[in-house]
Amino acid sequence: MPKILIVDDTAFMRLSIKTMLENNGFEIVGEADNGKTAIKKYLETQPDVVTMDITMPEMSGIEALSAIRQYDPKAKVVIVSAMGQEDLVKKAIISGAISFIVKPFKEEDIVKTIKQIAEM
Amino acid sequence: MSNQYSNEPMLEMYIFETSQLLEQLEQAIIASEKSSSYSQEAINEIFRFMHTIKGSSAMMLFNEISALAHAIEDLFYFLREQKPKTVDYEILSDLVLEGVDFIKVEIEKIKNGDEVNGEAALLIDKIKEFLSLLKTENACVAELKRPEPTKNQQYYIAVEKKSGQLSKSIYKATVFFKEGCEMENIRAYTIIHNLVEFTQELFYIPENISENDESIIWIRENGFQILFKTDKSYEEMHEFFMKTIFLKELILEQLENDDEFEKFRVPKKIIIENSEVKMPKVSAQLSKDNVVKETTTTSNQSMISVNVEKLDKLMDLVGEMVIAEAMVTQNPEIEHLELENFQKAARQLHKITGELQDMVMAIRMVPLSTTFLKMHRIMRDMCKKLGKEVQLEVIGEETEVDKNIIEHISDPLMHLIRNSIDHGIEENEERLEKGKEKAGTVTLEAKNAGSDVLVIIKDDGKGLNKEKILQKAKENGLLEKNENEMTDKEIYALILLPGFSTKESITEFSGRGVGMDVVAKNLAVVGGTVSVESIADRGTTITLKIPLTLAIIDGMNIKVGHSRYTIPIITIKESFRPKEGECFKDPDGNEMIMVRGNCYPILRLHEHYRVHTDIQRFEEGILIMVEQDEKALCLFADELLGQQQVVVKALPNYIKNTKKIRGVAGCTLLGDGSISLILDVGGFSNSYAM
Amino acid sequence: MARNKAEELEELEEDTQKGKFLTFVLGNESYGIGIEFVTEIIGILPITEVPELPAYIRGIINLRGKIIPVMDIRLRFKKEFREYNERTCIIVIDIMDNSVGLIVDSVAEVLNISDEDIVLPPTGNTGFSNRYIKGIGKVGSDVKLLLECEKILSKDDLDSLETLA
Repeated sequence: MPKILIVDDTAFMRLSIKTMLENNGFEIVGEADNGKTAIKKYLETQPDVVTMDITMPEMSGIEALSAIRQYDPKAKVVIVSAMGQEDLVKKAIISGAISFIVKPFKEEDIVKTIKQIAEM
Repeated sequence: MSNQYSNEPMLEMYIFETSQLLEQLEQAIIASEKSSSYSQEAINEIFRFMHTIKGSSAMMLFNEISALAHAIEDLFYFLREQKPKTVDYEILSDLVLEGVDFIKVEIEKIKNGDEVNGEAALLIDKIKEFLSLLKTENACVAELKRPEPTKNQQYYIAVEKKSGQLSKSIYKATVFFKEGCEMENIRAYTIIHNLVEFTQELFYIPENISENDESIIWIRENGFQILFKTDKSYEEMHEFFMKTIFLKELILEQLENDDEFEKFRVPKKIIIENSEVKMPKVSAQLSKDNVVKETTTTSNQSMISVNVEKLDKLMDLVGEMVIAEAMVTQNPEIEHLELENFQKAARQLHKITGELQDMVMAIRMVPLSTTFLKMHRIMRDMCKKLGKEVQLEVIGEETEVDKNIIEHISDPLMHLIRNSIDHGIEENEERLEKGKEKAGTVTLEAKNAGSDVLVIIKDDGKGLNKEKILQKAKENGLLEKNENEMTDKEIYALILLPGFSTKESITEFSGRGVGMDVVAKNLAVVGGTVSVESIADRGTTITLKIPLTLAIIDGMNIKVGHSRYTIPIITIKESFRPKEGECFKDPDGNEMIMVRGNCYPILRLHEHYRVHTDIQRFEEGILIMVEQDEKALCLFADELLGQQQVVVKALPNYIKNTKKIRGVAGCTLLGDGSISLILDVGGFSNSYAM
Repeated sequence: MARNKAEELEELEEDTQKGKFLTFVLGNESYGIGIEFVTEIIGILPITEVPELPAYIRGIINLRGKIIPVMDIRLRFKKEFREYNERTCIIVIDIMDNSVGLIVDSVAEVLNISDEDIVLPPTGNTGFSNRYIKGIGKVGSDVKLLLECEKILSKDDLDSLETLA
């Protein structure tokens, strides 16, 4: 089972993504609600894929993404963004995010995305 | 409408989180209003709250809520980025609060399982109008389209490698993305970003893919076209493109020549993107603007939210465990056995059970702060509508009360606050004339008093008018006592009677004659009482007395014939066996007894409950003197069975709906499985006591 | 997709419950209650009286920690009271979140009675128990009086005024 780390500052989104992924054969090995914790959890849990919310307090998703990629250049991070954040998403791609998904999304979208990325 | 997610946990989480955000939003707005300015921090916070609500609502398919949140988010985005000088903050606050109210109503519908059918279109239009007004008034630099087009257009072209490499393959790829994947331009950008490494002469259509929304439409209709040269084989390139996320269709052609490249070969500036974000230095990094007050959703990992039903179930189980423990340790089979080790273990078990019970009780206790916080909003709305200036002072909000009880306090409290502002506090000018401060003060205080909690609502308004009250009571035939014999307290208590109202004009908010008596009734449901005090021109004080918890009480079990009853210990003053001849009858035939100079009526429980018992004479049974609300009487029973902590269970709904039974507050299960009715002393004392 | 299946199954279950009645005996008459209301059937338990209630509400019982009111159907139908014995049963029904135990002489069996075999009660007859009957079911040569559970639990009828003073 691919191991997933979920990073989002709202409990609702974390729960939604967790529910969708757990129903489809993924193992959620950790959750984080800000960039700093995300980095810590990445080191602890060594997931296969990370879902990263792009706007979070304390340390943005992009900063955390950078840090994680520095630590592990092979880290696969998928950005979760809202509409209208093209600029940030582009920054994230440049910083090493492997792809992104835009809210609101359907279960099959995120499942297919994570599956594809996990298999890369 | 959202039917897709009948997924209970997610829906509950959505409701919980959104409700929390709405509360925080309200506080932020009211606080900003008070200080007549919206700080950057507040604007940021409100922006983020709305952004979050927009996102989660969209995920749950509550599209009206999402659209409304989006409109407010846009508004605050403008405020955040442009920092306009001329803003009518009053209208702004009203608009946002209107939005908050709309969402609150929809959330209630969601909670109740009703159709979520509210329409926010009108409100959204109002917000958009306000926003465009702001824009024209503040003549901002350029029409802000989100995201800001700050960067110059850049063409991402790989640096021409050293020439001489002839064995390059030429490809043309056309990529179609899946419908609904969004931001196709950035997806296209991602492909280019990945292609650069191993390609030369990379051209693509549309060219301007990172900022332009039109490119999205183009890509959707025509696909994203890329022309490039590379060492890689066809299979390798095919594999590369097939890895694209949200790929719908790929057309990959190997070209004979690079003729098609001609139209692109115009000298262009070569700029390599290198805006990778540096490794964050967390300490110095965050500017003040970005510091957002920690919301409960992000911080506080030391708290979790628990479903109240689970807590109730836990309480039930602990209650049953207490009974089961008694059935083991007090089992008649081992009564006369000398079992030292067993007794020791039993005592330990009892100790732990007791602690468990205490713990569960403590968990159910919730501070009054959230309830009190809601009052700020009420205060604000009322002050606005009535044009009065009133301050709300809150003391002791950390005082805790059983969760069940909190629900019954909220409405009465709201009503009392409204009353104070509407009828208690005078108009500003009148106050000044009287030498008072222009702004009235309403004080909301909570404190512990023994096994009760007192919630006091005090205002410094004009107080209650005794004459008017008496007159109104007379008019409505509510006077039972001679008015000259009534104490002030009794006179004020008249306003708690149903059908009473002295308001000349019944305002929108209160005084429709359903006010105070409903408050009293609501309180009575949880065993609470209301008392009123007032001083003319100085103000009115209303005190709510509420038992700390309904769930467990110290009770004295008594026996009457085959029936068992439990009397709350706090109501018992004393118990004794009367001597022959001590009891007597008054001219109406009511039985009484004198104790230390005072006369108490006697209630024969076996008669009252029509239970057969052999013990009919007072000298053979026991009298228990009980008191509630300053009224006392003596209950006659067969014998006392012993003191016990009992878990109060309510009578079944069916019975409660059939009739309100005087004198019975609930029931409990005794150690042997039998049911004991818990007596409500207040219920007796009203009919019998002096 | 899965959800539609679930809905279908639920409907199927309801259909399979419809038409099933638990029958019980009171004196010479046989009654039936739709099985969808019945949660359990137990023998008679000690009843704690609760004062000031109509006579047919006998009191409350302790059913594994849950407090449930019990109603004597004989008294409800204004029949003669009969002492309880080992055969007396309590049928626990659940309607609109209210659990109530119905005390009956004895319980018979669960029968399938399809809609065609049910006729409406005669309207002319103003006999008391009629208001509680929603239909008359024919089973072979026998007749079962099918009860309208909500009506049995409702308060708005004459004898709720006759509370013991």
